[in-house]
Amino acid sequence: MKFILNYIRKDEWSPYVAGVLLGIVGIAAVWASDSLLGASGAFENIAGLIGQAVAPALFDNMYFNFIMPPGITYGVMLVIGLFFGGLIGAASSGTLKWGKKDAANSDEQWKRIFGASVWKRWALAFVGAIILEYAAGIAGGCTSGLAISGGMLLAPAAFVFIAGMFVGGIPTAMLIYRNRF
Amino acid sequence: MTNLIIALVVGVFFGISLNKAGLTKYHKIVNVYRFTDMTVLKFMMTALVVSMSGLYALRGLGLVTFPNVPATYIVGNLVGGIIFGFGMALSGYCPGTAAAGAGEGKLDYLIPGLFGFLVGAVIYGLTYDQVFPAISALANFGNTTMPDLWNISPFLTILLFGLMSLLLFYLIDRAGWQRKEKGE
Repeated sequence: MKFILNYIRKDEWSPYVAGVLLGIVGIAAVWASDSLLGASGAFENIAGLIGQAVAPALFDNMYFNFIMPPGITYGVMLVIGLFFGGLIGAASSGTLKWGKKDAANSDEQWKRIFGASVWKRWALAFVGAIILEYAAGIAGGCTSGLAISGGMLLAPAAFVFIAGMFVGGIPTAMLIYRNRF
Repeated sequence: MTNLIIALVVGVFFGISLNKAGLTKYHKIVNVYRFTDMTVLKFMMTALVVSMSGLYALRGLGLVTFPNVPATYIVGNLVGGIIFGFGMALSGYCPGTAAAGAGEGKLDYLIPGLFGFLVGAVIYGLTYDQVFPAISALANFGNTTMPDLWNISPFLTILLFGLMSLLLFYLIDRAGWQRKEKGE
């Protein structure tokens, strides 16, 4: 029992143990709510919600009215859950960053390669996030909504997407890291 | 309403798994593309083996029905995946891990991350008509699965995927397929 509690409190589990937990979560979502995991869709629901409040005419299109209707959807609740899951996980290992000095960028590898500049990290992260969300739209989902959710149902789309992730990610990492790749 | 509460609980455990796998760290995501840390791949493939076995077994027993299967349209899935990989290597997260990392109090996840997704969502929503219908019409197989498409047994497919995963785990952990970080 003590061993299990100590393991739960560790900063990092074996990826195989964490993977089993995610697998069970994926099954539970289908079994309990007939739904799939996902994250990128929630941001489209929220973007529509904000957009239709701020600029109703601009957001009165096919996409925001019918394809991804704004609202507090299943996906939005799941993303709120993700936020608290991250919080609980980090709290259990005492690695929360709230109020810490390095909260703006805590990754040692990043600092070693790109220096201590926070705005550089934030600029690349911001551009990356825009690209991620747009790409998820084209692909039909992100790592959770397509790769995991589609993969567990054996949809070919998921495996094509995962292959694409590596085709795009490897040269990008080579380009960014150059001789440190 | 019940469904929304289930979604919240599912999200919490999903977030815990991402945190404990270390996926809410920039270097874990980027290093899978440098082959110096294959955690992401091990985590995802383990989750897939567990969930596909469980779901197809439960469906075989008549205990669950499947939700709408994500659609296969090869060109869009692939091009989207390539651009997604580009964004992942740049930012070191994906929408799910950014949400969990934001909860940990990482401000580079909370502010440029979540705000960036909203901006990306707006741009996508406003250009949807020009992009999606055209690209999703190419090589479109609909909401299908590999067993249905190729008329093969799902359990054979899962067995093959499981064996392939085990072989990959062996090669990464025991046969030196994971590169060493330079200077270590």
